[in-house]
Amino acid sequence: MTETLTDVAAAKVVDARGVACPGPLLEAKKAMAGVAVGEVLELWSSDSQTKNDVQAWSGKVGHEFLGVEVADGYDRVFVRRGK
Amino acid sequence: MAEHEKLVVMVTHGPEDPELATIPFAMAGAAVASDVEVVMGFQGEGCELVKKGVAEQIHADEFAPLGELLETIQELGGQLLVCSPCIKKRHLSEDDLVDGAEIVAAGRFVAEVTSATSSLVY
Repeated sequence: MTETLTDVAAAKVVDARGVACPGPLLEAKKAMAGVAVGEVLELWSSDSQTKNDVQAWSGKVGHEFLGVEVADGYDRVFVRRGK
Repeated sequence: MAEHEKLVVMVTHGPEDPELATIPFAMAGAAVASDVEVVMGFQGEGCELVKKGVAEQIHADEFAPLGELLETIQELGGQLLVCSPCIKKRHLSEDDLVDGAEIVAAGRFVAEVTSATSSLVY
């Protein structure tokens, strides 16, 4: 059975709602240091561009971008640490 | 293994233009977060941004506060190089600059830019 985002248990959740560009990306970078390889970071952001930014960042640095769940006024962005 | 990447970001705008002062820090911040080596070079009015106590006072609309970006860039290994004649013109010394900022001359800037994989000038 395919894993869906709602089934993902994040090892760490970072609330970057209200943080302006490029703050959410920097929060993700710093938080990822506390996530083990293979585990998932969940980033909350009210900046509509964060999901695109984090997707590009994940591809560049070797993490797996899992996707986005739209919540009430913010996005929940899921990234699995790759290295 | 990925090629080592290095970005040089030259900053020439100061507190008189909060947006153009902040954008180079936003780009440098995204770069250090992406495991890119970052060198920021400050010339002209840009030197004002690395005077102690100045960055904390700059917050362009819709951007992260400049002081927070500066702190993160340094925390993630970014280097700050400041133009020597620009500093002398402003009667400043290394003691007036944020910790970690290094005063350099044109030859060092040229060496950094020519050894970088990319550079941005603001």
